[in-house]
Amino acid sequence: MTNRLHNKKQHKFTRKHFILLVVCIATGFIIGYSYNLAKDEVNVNTAYLEQEDIFRTELIEQQERNHELMDELNTLNAQIREYEKVFAEVEDDYKELAQEAENLRLILGELPAQGSGIKVILKDGDYDPKTTNPNDYIVHESHIFMVINELKISGAEGIAINGQRLKPNSYIHCNGPVITIDGKQFPAPFVIEAIGNPQTLMSSLKISGGVFDKLLNDQIVVTIQELDNIKMPSIND
Amino acid sequence: MWLPFLGLILGLALGILTDIQIPAVYENYLSIAVLAALDTIVGGIRANLQQVYDDKVFITGFFFNIALAIGLAFLGVHLGVDLYLAAVFAFGVRLFQNIAIIRRILIQKWEDRHVKKDEKTV
Repeated sequence: MTNRLHNKKQHKFTRKHFILLVVCIATGFIIGYSYNLAKDEVNVNTAYLEQEDIFRTELIEQQERNHELMDELNTLNAQIREYEKVFAEVEDDYKELAQEAENLRLILGELPAQGSGIKVILKDGDYDPKTTNPNDYIVHESHIFMVINELKISGAEGIAINGQRLKPNSYIHCNGPVITIDGKQFPAPFVIEAIGNPQTLMSSLKISGGVFDKLLNDQIVVTIQELDNIKMPSIND
Repeated sequence: MWLPFLGLILGLALGILTDIQIPAVYENYLSIAVLAALDTIVGGIRANLQQVYDDKVFITGFFFNIALAIGLAFLGVHLGVDLYLAAVFAFGVRLFQNIAIIRRILIQKWEDRHVKKDEKTV
């Protein structure tokens, strides 16, 4: 009886403890599991936060870079505006300068020129049996020099001999019956064309005791004519 | 007396060693379940100390409380209202009350023993 009672008591005791054990295991399991999860979550969160931090830093760097670039862009834009302003101011001057350069090129002979002017033709004089020296009646370089110098003095803007444009530093020299201009030989008759004011050029040549008279005196056949439109090649042709 | 602690440690070990992943949405439920389990255990200890302990009440209370708390949290999540706060509040208050009662009972017992000792010695 006592044994049974004891057994029963023992049984009840065990059962109670068994239930407690089950409940404790369940509680422990839940707590442990949630601790595990929370730990993972903390890890995940930490990694995530680090990542976020890195991204934020990068973003800030990028924004700063953007800012710098924007500043640079603004500076450059301001510069461009300034340049444009200056350019607009200079553009008129530039046009004038371009015009001047064009004129200078025309005068230098780097461009083909055309305009009114005069044409001087120098021909050897007719054969004169009385003189034995042909030098007395053929055209010499000195004659050409005289004409050219006179034309230049009188304001000729461009001079060509037999279609050869004269440079400011052209050389002419006599080479027997022909003359050499910048290495090219030309025979008589010599056609000297000059662009300029025809009246001025004409009157300066025909001044009494001037070039025209001297040429006539040297037995040279001189023809002078005014032309409205003389075309001249450039010095490079 | 050491058996519940053994069980607790065993459960903890199992829980920590378990490597099952659950969606982050359900982690709320777990915290509620922890609270419910603790509440039930503390309630059980209190009942034991007050000599009103009953197996059926204890074991049903354990699982029913957990189920109710999780159900409430579930409902709250789906309604967009933080209903699990109700469970947290209820269990928290009960937990503290139970612990206070246990403490008082234990102090009472301790004092009783002291009085007895004193009587013996006197």
